[in-house]
Amino acid sequence: MAVMQLREALRSAMTEEMERDENVFLMGEEVAEYNGAYKVSEGMLERFGPDRVIDTPISESGFSGLGVGAAMVGLRPIIEFMSWSFTLVCLDQIVNNAANVRYMSGGQVKIPITFRGGNGIAHQLGATHSHRTESIYARIPGLIVVTPSNSADAKGLLKSSIRCDDPVIFLENEKMLNDKGDVPEGEFTLPLGVADVERQGADVTLISYGRPLDRVVRPAVKALTENENIDVELINLRTLRPLDTQTLLESIKKTNRCVIVDEDWGYCGMGSGILFKLQEPAFDYLDAPIKYVHSDEIPVPYNHHLEEAMMPSVDKIVSAVKEVCYR
Amino acid sequence: MTVADEIEKRSAVKKAASSAVSGSNGHSSPAEREAAIARLRTMLLIRRFEERTFYEYTSPRTLPDGTREMKIGGFCHLYSGQEAIAVGCAALFDKSRDYLINGYRCHGHSLALGMNPHTAMAELFGRATGCSKGKGGSMHLFEVSAGNLGGHGIVGAQIPLGLGTAFAQKYRKTGGVTFCFMGDGAINQGTFNEALNLASLYKVPCIYVVENNGVAMGTQVERSSAEKDLAERACGYAMPHWNIDGNDVDTVITEFGKAVDRARSGGGPSYIVANTYRFRGHSMSDPMKYRKMSDGKWSPEVEEAKKHDPILLYSNRLMQAGIISAQQIEAMEAKVNEEVEAAIHQAEADPNPALEDRFNDVLAETYPYQPK
Repeated sequence: MAVMQLREALRSAMTEEMERDENVFLMGEEVAEYNGAYKVSEGMLERFGPDRVIDTPISESGFSGLGVGAAMVGLRPIIEFMSWSFTLVCLDQIVNNAANVRYMSGGQVKIPITFRGGNGIAHQLGATHSHRTESIYARIPGLIVVTPSNSADAKGLLKSSIRCDDPVIFLENEKMLNDKGDVPEGEFTLPLGVADVERQGADVTLISYGRPLDRVVRPAVKALTENENIDVELINLRTLRPLDTQTLLESIKKTNRCVIVDEDWGYCGMGSGILFKLQEPAFDYLDAPIKYVHSDEIPVPYNHHLEEAMMPSVDKIVSAVKEVCYR
Repeated sequence: MTVADEIEKRSAVKKAASSAVSGSNGHSSPAEREAAIARLRTMLLIRRFEERTFYEYTSPRTLPDGTREMKIGGFCHLYSGQEAIAVGCAALFDKSRDYLINGYRCHGHSLALGMNPHTAMAELFGRATGCSKGKGGSMHLFEVSAGNLGGHGIVGAQIPLGLGTAFAQKYRKTGGVTFCFMGDGAINQGTFNEALNLASLYKVPCIYVVENNGVAMGTQVERSSAEKDLAERACGYAMPHWNIDGNDVDTVITEFGKAVDRARSGGGPSYIVANTYRFRGHSMSDPMKYRKMSDGKWSPEVEEAKKHDPILLYSNRLMQAGIISAQQIEAMEAKVNEEVEAAIHQAEADPNPALEDRFNDVLAETYPYQPK
């Protein structure tokens, strides 16, 4: 095992895949000469040269569409967005072109592209820069949506995403890039479409993904174990589309209780989509309604205290878990 | 470099591009004469295909239970009047390495690149035998094996895609070029600005062609573009940009040829406004009130445009040059008409896609996906 920051794990995945396949290139704002807005691509220009690590002007529609066009004819672009919030200006290229062109051509093209960058609330950036775009993309047939929650996830999932022949939406979070974690040495990939049961437990199934796992969910599990004697089965989704419904249902059949946690808005949020997949097949196994802990339904405020208050917290998760356990 | 130097340099680039030696499309050799006749034939094929499409669209079939069903559904945009542009492009197109990407008015270009009229008509009819298996329809004709990367239904959405295919051609050093077509309506989308700037910045081999038929759906150019000279809309991208007569297939070949030469030799993108006229409405539901006088008669511009019908122009030129006779054209037209009738007949008889097929072609991999 090697200890890596999450940003180093991402860089390592991209570097290995670019060494492996010359069709892979990296493009985005400030990825080359500036060494990455968040230093994810640091040193890659020097290593691969300007033909494969390419700076763009601030033109999200232009360069995301460039990536889709290049993928249609067989290149394997990695398109970095400085923030997934900025993809609201190029939604058409992702939703209409990346996701639909294969279908509308009757399967004549593949779109092997990876779009990646920071997603969600990343501390005091204000409403326009804090969008949780997972529920926008995870509802689109034709896309794969992946989200890592630690360094090993980041490396294994990103390598698989780059190698996959479908368009992958890869959702990181700026606040996770410094986090350190163990990453297996050597060639290491993780499957797409498979959730990770990261803690076995008997009393309740807790489902989450991405940044809230480390920020609030894992601490909540610790508090529940130590203070409440509740044995939590914790599932890290890793892939949001296609959803690994089977793993979730198997867990609920065992625990008979379920809580979903994300930082999205509740109505039409990511967790609502997960609920849609679970409520009917899980109904007969549930001893309580599934609870969904999400952010308040307001624009994301700038003020630190207000921002903290709108998001799921350890306390909110502990309360929800106790409620479904009738404790 | 001073601003004055920069302006001087750019106007030199522009002049060089517009005076460059054209590709060969004369009529002196037997091969050239044969190619000219083939081009006329393709123009006739496109026209007949489109006019018959108009008829099929407006003639629902009656089902055994007496109910009526549209043969062609959705939006359908005809190319009649603009044939010289697609056919001129096809004359320069190298299917082994070039790409064509298009907006939704894509029947003509697809036929010009060799799509079987039956495959195209079957797609309009939504049949399993259509080029896109009945999943695309009129606006989404694809034949990737011929370099035809599709019609695209969202106005301007294809402009960055053409940038991307050209980027791939440069990345792989194939010597190929991309023809990226758009209408005069598309140049007012934001993607136009982003893609043309990037194309020039990265010097990709893309030829951006605006087919200016004068009207974006029902909005005339005068009401949609502050700059009336649409070639000038590309003046901020440091790439050659010029107007051509899009109704003269020889002119189209010569002028597109300059852009092709420039792109193949690493000179980067060009922007050409091919001025033409759309004989039919924007789509099938368009009564073209904007072309009618207060008494309901056609405005004089329609009659004027018909005098510049690209097929008429080219037929006359070939006849005057002694390459083909009126009788031969008539015979050729009869053959083309038969071909289109056979395509319609076959498409009508073809099956709908199997209902289970609706789940296919969404993704390329199966999931869970584990790399090998």
